[in-house]
Amino acid sequence: MRNVFFLVGVLLTTTTLGAHEMTPTYPTFAPSYVGGLASTELTVFNARKDVEFYQVGVFDRDWKPIPFATPDKLLHIPYTERTTFDVFVRDEDVRKAIYVCTLSKLRSDVPSNAIISSKICSRTDGNVR
Amino acid sequence: MKRPSIYAAALLLSVSASAEEAIIEGNVESKCIINTDVNGVYGNPTPNKLSTLTADGGVASTIRYDVALADYYLARITTPTSFSTSPSLNDVVYWDGSTSVGEVSDSTMAAYDTDKVTYEATTEFDLTVAGSTWFNVTSVAEYGYDRAFPGGTYRAIVQAECIAK
Repeated sequence: MRNVFFLVGVLLTTTTLGAHEMTPTYPTFAPSYVGGLASTELTVFNARKDVEFYQVGVFDRDWKPIPFATPDKLLHIPYTERTTFDVFVRDEDVRKAIYVCTLSKLRSDVPSNAIISSKICSRTDGNVR
Repeated sequence: MKRPSIYAAALLLSVSASAEEAIIEGNVESKCIINTDVNGVYGNPTPNKLSTLTADGGVASTIRYDVALADYYLARITTPTSFSTSPSLNDVVYWDGSTSVGEVSDSTMAAYDTDKVTYEATTEFDLTVAGSTWFNVTSVAEYGYDRAFPGGTYRAIVQAECIAK
């Protein structure tokens, strides 16, 4: 019981952790330099001190995952840095790809009690230029 | 000697006369920023309870959403339904949580609380006004039937989502 009180006491620190931002809100797919694939470009800004990695996901209207490719599926974005990345989707899937999301990945070895996970989703609506 | 000074003066005049206009350019685009302002902290008021309520000695999470343009995004906040880190637990944990609007940058955002939609552990807000909204998130976990939580570290994750409409 004393352990619980001790650990809860240790966790009794509040911090301002920062922000997660992604643009554009409505990206559009365009034919890419790779045959059979369409691509779109997004930018993530990481102002969260407790987060360094963001996971990319592409989803259909019912939030089912759509196969996609990015140079890094887990984006490494140091604190206060901005990263621009391409998302590639097969031509046959592009009309189904409605949402492109980035989700903050919390590290278990960070000493802080980070308990807020942030996720931002842009909406493509399967639009192709 | 007089002529070069006249030329120099003329040159100076022409330089100042040819000063160009400086153009400042900018654009406003829709975007959503999720700010994790305050981490939640579980208080342990009784052996079987972990709670972020102030009355229980905890600290509620505060999440701020900034939207640049009105009516482009939904805020979706899900309170924890399991621990991400905990000692081994061999009984059921009962979860409760709530999400409400705290501070607002525009008084019309106060309507978010009455218009919110809650299902299971998720609360959805339609961000119909541009500006900043602070959401207070509470979480309570109770172990079994008055059973004491085993000693150790407990962490749970609140998920804050911003979804383009």
